[in-house]
Amino acid sequence: MKITILKENFKNGLNIIERITGKNLTLPVLNNVLLTVEKNFLNLSTTDLEMGINWWGLVKTEKQGKISIPAKLLSSFTGLLPDKKIILEAKDKTLFIECEKRKTKIKGQDPEEFPLIPKIENQEFIEVDSYKFCQGLSQVIEVISSSQVRPEISGVYLLFQKDLIKMVGTDSFRLAEKTLSLKNKIKKECSLIIPQKTIRELINVLGEKKEKLKIFFSPSQIMFELVMPEISHPQVQIISRLIDGEYPDYQEIIPKNYETQIILEKKEFLNQIKTASLFSGNINEVKFKINPKEGKIEIFTQSSELGENKSYLLGKTEGNPIEVSFNHKFISDGLSNIESSEVIFGLNKDGGPAVLKPVGDESYIYVVMPVKSD
Amino acid sequence: MTKEELWQAVLADIQFHISRANFTTWLANTEIISKQDKCILVSVPNSFSKEWLENKYNKLILKALYNINNDIKEVKYEVKPCALKTLDHLASTDLPKPKLEQLNFQEFKINKKTNLNPRYTFDNFVIGSFNELAQAAAWAVSKKPGLVYNPLFIYGNVGLGKTHLLQAIGNKIIEKSASKNVLYIPAEKFTSEVVSSIRNGTIESLKAKFRQTDVLILDDAQFLAGKEKTQEEFFHTFNSLYEKNKQIILSSDRSPKAIPALEERLRSRFEGGMIADISAPDYETRLAILKTKGQEKKIDLSNETLEYIASNVQKNIREMEGALNSLAAYQKLNNEQLDAKIARKLLKNLISSPPKIVSPKIIIQMVAEFFDLKERDLITPSRKKEIVRPRQIAMYLLRNELKSSFPFIGRKFSGKDHTTAIYACTKIKKEIENSEKFTDEINLIKQRIYSQSC
Repeated sequence: MKITILKENFKNGLNIIERITGKNLTLPVLNNVLLTVEKNFLNLSTTDLEMGINWWGLVKTEKQGKISIPAKLLSSFTGLLPDKKIILEAKDKTLFIECEKRKTKIKGQDPEEFPLIPKIENQEFIEVDSYKFCQGLSQVIEVISSSQVRPEISGVYLLFQKDLIKMVGTDSFRLAEKTLSLKNKIKKECSLIIPQKTIRELINVLGEKKEKLKIFFSPSQIMFELVMPEISHPQVQIISRLIDGEYPDYQEIIPKNYETQIILEKKEFLNQIKTASLFSGNINEVKFKINPKEGKIEIFTQSSELGENKSYLLGKTEGNPIEVSFNHKFISDGLSNIESSEVIFGLNKDGGPAVLKPVGDESYIYVVMPVKSD
Repeated sequence: MTKEELWQAVLADIQFHISRANFTTWLANTEIISKQDKCILVSVPNSFSKEWLENKYNKLILKALYNINNDIKEVKYEVKPCALKTLDHLASTDLPKPKLEQLNFQEFKINKKTNLNPRYTFDNFVIGSFNELAQAAAWAVSKKPGLVYNPLFIYGNVGLGKTHLLQAIGNKIIEKSASKNVLYIPAEKFTSEVVSSIRNGTIESLKAKFRQTDVLILDDAQFLAGKEKTQEEFFHTFNSLYEKNKQIILSSDRSPKAIPALEERLRSRFEGGMIADISAPDYETRLAILKTKGQEKKIDLSNETLEYIASNVQKNIREMEGALNSLAAYQKLNNEQLDAKIARKLLKNLISSPPKIVSPKIIIQMVAEFFDLKERDLITPSRKKEIVRPRQIAMYLLRNELKSSFPFIGRKFSGKDHTTAIYACTKIKKEIENSEKFTDEINLIKQRIYSQSC
């Protein structure tokens, strides 16, 4: 193969595909990126055998062909090149790189050894706004634990229903649900569980893009595709396995009513919890006491070594007096995912779940279980 | 040569042709699923392996197979995820519990596939004379599902442990062989699934789902009453499972005979296996249950208090558990040992408001309603047969439930003589002794009366 490409363009592509490489010792070829030149496109692909990433860039082609090269090395090297044209040429498992005053040789491997990234036959797809989609995912992903004990909750659950997409994450102590509305109705309802790692990669690669994102399904795979802004050719594809399993009936755990609810100013609430957390010791317990008559929530932490902290906030309150303890981290995590300036905090007694949700926005809800102290 | 041996031979051959790394990466967790004529179907753990084997190693594999068996002309691959087995045993070996207990979503513990809650086991089921038969039958069924008592029908009043027993059977079977397809479903949910699948036109997939179970557990079967289409669906599912010797387990709050509006063909099938009833526990058993529950929940109550609960909450184990919980909460909150006096005060509204506030008016009203008559008809001195009998029943109930005097009863029914009342009561009493069906009918009326009055 022989092509000419702009450094900036090449570097962009490498940045997108290189992150999932370089962690595999048993199959060294997985540390590589596969460069394929076909017609006017250079295709870069990498995989870790759970997911694969493809990137395409427009290039001036002299000769078609392919080669596989260590991805990290190629990426670091390209980063140091001046912003000029680069000529890439592959001969006998070696990549020759020419850029302005430099001439470099990188040793590669037989491209035939590189894993084949699965394709999805089904041509039907759902189109979403890439930015909003990734934004929604980032509001639920932090909740998921990376433990593999229960595979079915180790990923993000996506439910496509009529003109809605529901995204759910949980670690069995708390749960976040985000609802996105679509412009077009989906023909077929479906639900799937996507590995956490894939979602992180998706947010990293596509989080800032404003283009439309296409989603393709097959029974065991999912593919996200971003089309080039200039021409109708895919620019980035992320293909991943799905998690096999049934997601729990999470709807049942979202409480419909609260014993007590209070509306608080989010920034101040978060600030007070962070202050309180300094005194929660290593058990992370923060105690809330709501007195509806005074319209007031008291936040209290105590540690035998460090001391104690007490603060309060005023807010519009409904319900009965209540006293419940939580892990402070779970509360501040939930608050950080909420964008509105005011937040509804709904509590239940007897170890029932509590809820945090933004005021005036029904699309997000965060459910959290309290701690039981002796 | 078995499938396993064949695949082992193939792998043994291939390992000499490819690198070690490739061998372990692409051929790990593969196996032959089926062999049909000239075609071999191989399962692979993921799509990457599938692509690779299809496109790169197909020739190699085919050649190795051909060398062993000349008939084989084709190999196909199918993705079967396997590395995702739930590591349940890991979950149970938690770290030592810190002082603080982070609560989690209990609903997640319910097995999504079987709907079973692991909380219910035979180990924490207290046996007494009142439930001995049901427990023994359940135990036998869990040992040999489908072979001993099919169907097993358990009935008894609310809060006596039917659901516990049913789920324990399911859990036991799963524990013995995880591959068994067990499904627990309350009748009400069965109905709503039937309804929604009719609406969505997915009735076929629903049928398939129920018919491939090895053990089907239907709780609260009395709710099938009056739902014809659901009954029909259940009837066919029942037959198809029964023919294949798959276990069916049912529960209800009354015997199959006493479930109104249940189609005859279903009723007779329910009665075809083993019917076991759970009655109310006696005092000693109640005390034993309280002690077991107390231990389970680490509640430390004095014997005196437990005895007080046992002697006062008589008919419902669930209520007993509730009483136990509220006392435990009080004790924890106030950090003091409870004595029977405080217990009495705390449980006052639980115990002293048993639904005994039945008035003659309610009895007459309910009897009339039950027989689809007007209250006035019962009271008028008509001698029509369809009225006389309900009137006698009402008289009997007034006597037995309210201990009303015979003259009082006579006056209630537009001044009949007290001997008429005596005659009615003896007659009904005799009939109750003689006819099982009639007893159920009376019990049904009583149930209505008491559920109305509280």
